[in-house]
Amino acid sequence: MSGVVAGFGTEEAMEQAFARLHDAGLAGETYSPHPPEGAPKRSWIPAVILIGGFAAAGGFFALQCYALMFNYPFDIGGRPLFSWPAYIPLAFEGGVLIAIFAGFFGFLIACRLPYLYDPIDEIDAFRAASRDTYFVAVRTGDPERIRQARELLRPLDPLLIEDIPP
Amino acid sequence: MSGAEASPAGGATAQISRAYLLEQQSGGVQLPMQPVLLPGQTAGSMTDRICALALRERAFLWWWVLLVPFALMFLLGVCSGFWLFYRGPGVWGVDWPVMWGFALVNYVWWIAIASGGTFVSALFYLVRVDWRTSINRTAETMLLFAAVAAGLYPIMHLGRPWFAYWLFPYPDTMALWPQFRSPLFWDFAALFTYVVASIVFWYFGLIPDFASVRDRARRRGSQLLYGMLALGFRGSGREWRHFRAAYGVMAAIMAPLVISVHSFVGNDFAAAQTTGWHSTEFPPFFVFGALHSGFAVVVLLIIPLRRLYRLEAFITSRHLDALGKLMIVTTFCMAYAYMMDAFNSFYSPDRAEHVYAQAAMFGRYAGIFWGKIALNVFLPQLLWFRAVRLNQIMMLLIALGVTVGMWLERFDIVIVSLSYSKIPSSWGYFHPTFWDWSLMAGTIGLFFGGYLLAIRLIPVVSMYEMRELMKKRRA
Repeated sequence: MSGVVAGFGTEEAMEQAFARLHDAGLAGETYSPHPPEGAPKRSWIPAVILIGGFAAAGGFFALQCYALMFNYPFDIGGRPLFSWPAYIPLAFEGGVLIAIFAGFFGFLIACRLPYLYDPIDEIDAFRAASRDTYFVAVRTGDPERIRQARELLRPLDPLLIEDIPP
Repeated sequence: MSGAEASPAGGATAQISRAYLLEQQSGGVQLPMQPVLLPGQTAGSMTDRICALALRERAFLWWWVLLVPFALMFLLGVCSGFWLFYRGPGVWGVDWPVMWGFALVNYVWWIAIASGGTFVSALFYLVRVDWRTSINRTAETMLLFAAVAAGLYPIMHLGRPWFAYWLFPYPDTMALWPQFRSPLFWDFAALFTYVVASIVFWYFGLIPDFASVRDRARRRGSQLLYGMLALGFRGSGREWRHFRAAYGVMAAIMAPLVISVHSFVGNDFAAAQTTGWHSTEFPPFFVFGALHSGFAVVVLLIIPLRRLYRLEAFITSRHLDALGKLMIVTTFCMAYAYMMDAFNSFYSPDRAEHVYAQAAMFGRYAGIFWGKIALNVFLPQLLWFRAVRLNQIMMLLIALGVTVGMWLERFDIVIVSLSYSKIPSSWGYFHPTFWDWSLMAGTIGLFFGGYLLAIRLIPVVSMYEMRELMKKRRA
């Protein structure tokens, strides 16, 4: 066994079970069909997107400065080589492109995805986590802690409690 | 009418039952005013319904009936693409002075349709519009194929398309850089970013829904396919926390991106010294046009979709009503832009501008000009009537009219301006050839065929957002 999972019919019951496990020092994880409302911690992805976007925008701006001022300076009717307003479009578009990628790959890294197999998938009823059932799971190999978690969860009247296979 | 209003039962019940009666009498064309979500749907039933559509073993008969003609059109487009690459752009009707023929007309037309889709999916997400939830998948899928159709045209128009990669800023052995100061280059950068970012945004929003489909899949093949596409997303607290934050920020980036894309398309024209183009009004004018045609094509797609896929509970008359009202707004934006366009032409001290504007309105292409005014400005005025907004046939016809009208507008901008250049001796008319029309048919086939393939394989409604909406409705 590598843990225990319990399913509930409502989000509130799931939150309550999670809080109870948390108070007992059993680190748990929730699984829900839609983003849970009580967001406990903030995500660092927006910061990654911001940094990635601005770094890329600055990089593309610098690239244009290098290309048009130093690598291939070209005098067109005495106009200034550092014509920065015309450099902004590519800086913006390049910044957006990298920001979107930063968000996507940042998400994959933050959630350790792709993660195609998890022992929890062996539990058939867990498929309802992407439908209408809210789950809490405790991952531990210690039988004593699994027993403790089961005892905490049972009075909450879950729809099901199952062991996660190893 | 007055009898029903005076009835003692009064209020909403009488009105709804009267409206249902009306729907039955008119064969389901006229809809009653409904909420965003019809009652009787739960998160479970909704998820099962949408997943079953994606997991059907055999496609519906109507799906094949629709797919075959569009696939044939696409094949015709592929053939004309090969012919074009073999013989060069001379197979088109482009000739001096009209060197920007259908390629630019259709490029702008398609990219406008795509941009409207992003507005529905990203901008309305940010302002938390509840009716966006069930149609955003349609809007995003539409924008994807429209952006691909648009992106093909500039490459085909290059003449030497095998040098398309020269547009990328890379250190080459010739020590040449792209012209970073040119709006045509900005347009390339914007379009490239837009297509790539749209694909990422679309796929990112699909990950939780692919997970739902994976968990319902019974056949090995679909389990593998959707399992891989879902990347192992299981809906854990950590995944949702990061997903929601990332999706929100991506939407916030997509909204200004789409405005930049169509503004740069407008700059392609405005930066040129051509009569009728050289105007600061063009960037916002093009963004208005994008909204107008984008909303119209969303309507064009969701009315058959809700009927053929029986999604009446999720895509209700409320959605049609909201889109109809938005089209009233955009039609006035268009009217304002047309007015300012004419004003700028006649206010200009340049005599060539006056001649051009008169020729556009009363010359050889007068039909195009008045057609665009009639279809983009006058036809949508019908949407002031609620009965029209709730009538599916009328909405389809108006949406089709606006889509055609927007194509006429692109024709008017690109071809009529180029026909009447500053020196009357170099005036000339554009004659589209068979290959112009066949390539256009090919992009239409690509768009609708691609959309049909997508609704066959992916969840047509964003399920996780619908579950969230249902939870809020219950609370």
